[in-house]
Amino acid sequence: MSIPDNAPPTRAARFSAAGRATFDLTLRLGGLAVAIVVVGFVFQVFNDAFLNTDVIISVLRSMSSVAIMGLGLTLVIVIGEIDLSVGAMYGLAANSLAVIWIQGGVPVQLAIPLVLLIAVGVGIFNGVLTTALRIPSFIVTLGSYNLLYGLSLYVTHASTFNPNYPPEGYSVADSQLAFFVNLTKQFGAHQFSVEVFWMLALALVVGFLLHRSLFGFRLVAIGGNPLAAQLARLPVRRYKILAFILSAVIAAIAGILDFSFIQTSQPDLGLSQTFPVFAAVIIGGASLSGGKGTAIGTLGGALLLAELQIGLALLSPGPHAQQIFLGAVTIGAVALDLGLTRLRARRAG
Amino acid sequence: MTQRIEIRGLRKGYGNTKALVGLDLDLIPGEVLGIAGPNGAGKSTLVRILAGEERHDGGEVRIGGAAFPLAEAARLVAVVHQEPQLFPNLTVAENLLVGREGAHLLRPAPPDGDRALMTALGLGPYVARPLGDCTLAVQQRTEIARALARDARVFLFDEPNSALTDEESDELFQEIRKLADAGNIVILVTHRLGDLVEHTSRVVVMRDGKVAAELQGAALTEEGIAQLLVLAEHRATPDSARGLRDTRAEAALLQVRGWTHRGGLFAGLSFAAARGEILALMGVEGSGARELLRSLGGVEASQGEISVMGESGAGAVRRYTAYVPATRQLSLYSNLSVGNNLLARLGKPDIAGFGYALRPRRMRALAEDAVRRFYVKTRTLGQGIRSLSGGNQQKVAIAQALASRPRLLLLEEPTRGVDIGARREIYRLLSDFAADGNAVVMYCTEVPEMFEAADRVVVVSDGRLSSSLSVAAFPHVEALATEVTRLERHGRQT
Repeated sequence: MSIPDNAPPTRAARFSAAGRATFDLTLRLGGLAVAIVVVGFVFQVFNDAFLNTDVIISVLRSMSSVAIMGLGLTLVIVIGEIDLSVGAMYGLAANSLAVIWIQGGVPVQLAIPLVLLIAVGVGIFNGVLTTALRIPSFIVTLGSYNLLYGLSLYVTHASTFNPNYPPEGYSVADSQLAFFVNLTKQFGAHQFSVEVFWMLALALVVGFLLHRSLFGFRLVAIGGNPLAAQLARLPVRRYKILAFILSAVIAAIAGILDFSFIQTSQPDLGLSQTFPVFAAVIIGGASLSGGKGTAIGTLGGALLLAELQIGLALLSPGPHAQQIFLGAVTIGAVALDLGLTRLRARRAG
Repeated sequence: MTQRIEIRGLRKGYGNTKALVGLDLDLIPGEVLGIAGPNGAGKSTLVRILAGEERHDGGEVRIGGAAFPLAEAARLVAVVHQEPQLFPNLTVAENLLVGREGAHLLRPAPPDGDRALMTALGLGPYVARPLGDCTLAVQQRTEIARALARDARVFLFDEPNSALTDEESDELFQEIRKLADAGNIVILVTHRLGDLVEHTSRVVVMRDGKVAAELQGAALTEEGIAQLLVLAEHRATPDSARGLRDTRAEAALLQVRGWTHRGGLFAGLSFAAARGEILALMGVEGSGARELLRSLGGVEASQGEISVMGESGAGAVRRYTAYVPATRQLSLYSNLSVGNNLLARLGKPDIAGFGYALRPRRMRALAEDAVRRFYVKTRTLGQGIRSLSGGNQQKVAIAQALASRPRLLLLEEPTRGVDIGARREIYRLLSDFAADGNAVVMYCTEVPEMFEAADRVVVVSDGRLSSSLSVAAFPHVEALATEVTRLERHGRQT
């Protein structure tokens, strides 16, 4: 089946060759978009109140924390590693902010950068253990997941915080409270939250990093073939550590924003988000074996999950339905993707 | 008693490359058949087809006149690899049992026959030891025992002794002899000509997917095989422009002194490569030649003095050298397009500017330029790298390394699995690169490659360097082959 080297390419061949990578992406994102629309219409059939502005706005708000964490996780997954600690980092960020600000009396404008520094430390911890000691990142971050949760319990003495009702003996200045609450301010007749803008802004940043910068170019190369990257003397270690730092910092941002929105912190905050975040990234087309993943795909994955969550909550069949759908959609999306890839590979011969 | 296996017109292709093109071969019980041939000749493919690991595309395999039951090949045929493919976490006895456990509910116990078998193969002391803790020789004997335990009749040895000590490999060959004497079909695939002459009764030389020649009896000599390997390979006339370049007057670009391998494969080596020169390091597997090349790129841990472009140390290696691994699995990124593969080693300011933002227009221009200069046959820059032929993939791998503008290019088997046309082009690229005042050091296993591409050849055997051969001094490839073979053998004996 050899193709003569200088034969003029046929029209079909030129198309399939030129656009293969783009085509893959279009297929995946197009499929995701279709799924989001179809699921929306199905819910509308069952409940004609589904497609209204309030519901759509609450879907966008509720997708944002999973989406933001997913954006950070996408960077780690593209480079071929895993970060199980994003949910715990999210929780630690909210809890340590509560302690530093409300109990410690540090102004919130200063406490937030301090929390982000803690996240940088967590990222370095994950990244250095993974690269320097060559412990698989699954193990490292499984460990740090528990470590961070333990830290959350320790610093809060296993209690909850609400800046509106500081514990006895502590006070929160009104101006600081206003600053903090305004981070995710809701406005307009439909209570649109600023958190959605944070999500979009972070998506732009991560999208730039991943698709338009040298960092992302190398991230994809390293994830695709770490050995080749090492032999070609790409900065594999440094990039892996950077990916873990970004993942932790972005998870901390999600934790701070959600704390601002919910206004209550509790020690186990975020733990239950761990797997939905992975599901969003995987549904968005990232590959756990590395080298593949997009910011827009992760947003789409988070949107689909939030849509299912809210839609099912409105239909109220019971809490089991959400979990069953989360599982089915995760496996289904990957199965469909693999099926299509194989089909196309066979066709291309 | 096993019956004779007849292979007729066997064909097998992988995408654009043809591994076997009408191979005819008879496998006779009771003899040890040797198979020799350069890399990419189709030896491994033949082994995999006989072992039932792959289906052939055409032709037939018959045993005693009937079709060979390829479905049963997994039981009938045993392959003993250079690196045994067993279960390192199980004991030797348990390894024998895997696959023959039967359908008992209880943990299976080894049948009585197994112990006798293991004793006969000298495995007695290791029965209860985890295989991972045993030496390679013991692991190989376990693989043989495993095959005997399931009544295998065909034994394929694929470079079995390349990592064994002399004593261990003598013992292995005794076992091989015994297997043949017991009426089995035994095949030995190896690059070691000495072993072929000493331990086989017939040798076929494979080339380009078929049997090129057969040697037995008095004709079976090391020189005979070496000549055949070379002649089968060498078809076109060499590039005549190359020999004219006089390199001795030029300054040394690479200088190495007291170069010692951490793993002990070589010690205290000193040599140099001049500007404009293409130096070939030749040596069989285990000679240290491959590791020597890799060590120059900082990939294999070594110590000693190294200077490139007059600067010494790891910094100079990093700044001025680029290393291209032997397999494309280690140089290319299957998830990236052809264009991005060409640019994978570049950074700021080549492909990224302010804020590390990529510069798409410049990337496109650089990739297009590389495609043109390196004659990469691709329809578009955006297509997947795996859609290219092997030769073009290799051009991309070399172009990728050259894009980072090294002064010393280090190539490990630069044309492995590459067709003859693409080879020509790769040699021309290397020659152009060297002519610009750079240097190339490459590790090769094939004499015609050195003859066509290199200015100077150094033979590595047992971690020692021969005196260097100036390729221009040899009128034809056979003369160079004879000298290289002599130096190789001489090096091993001293």
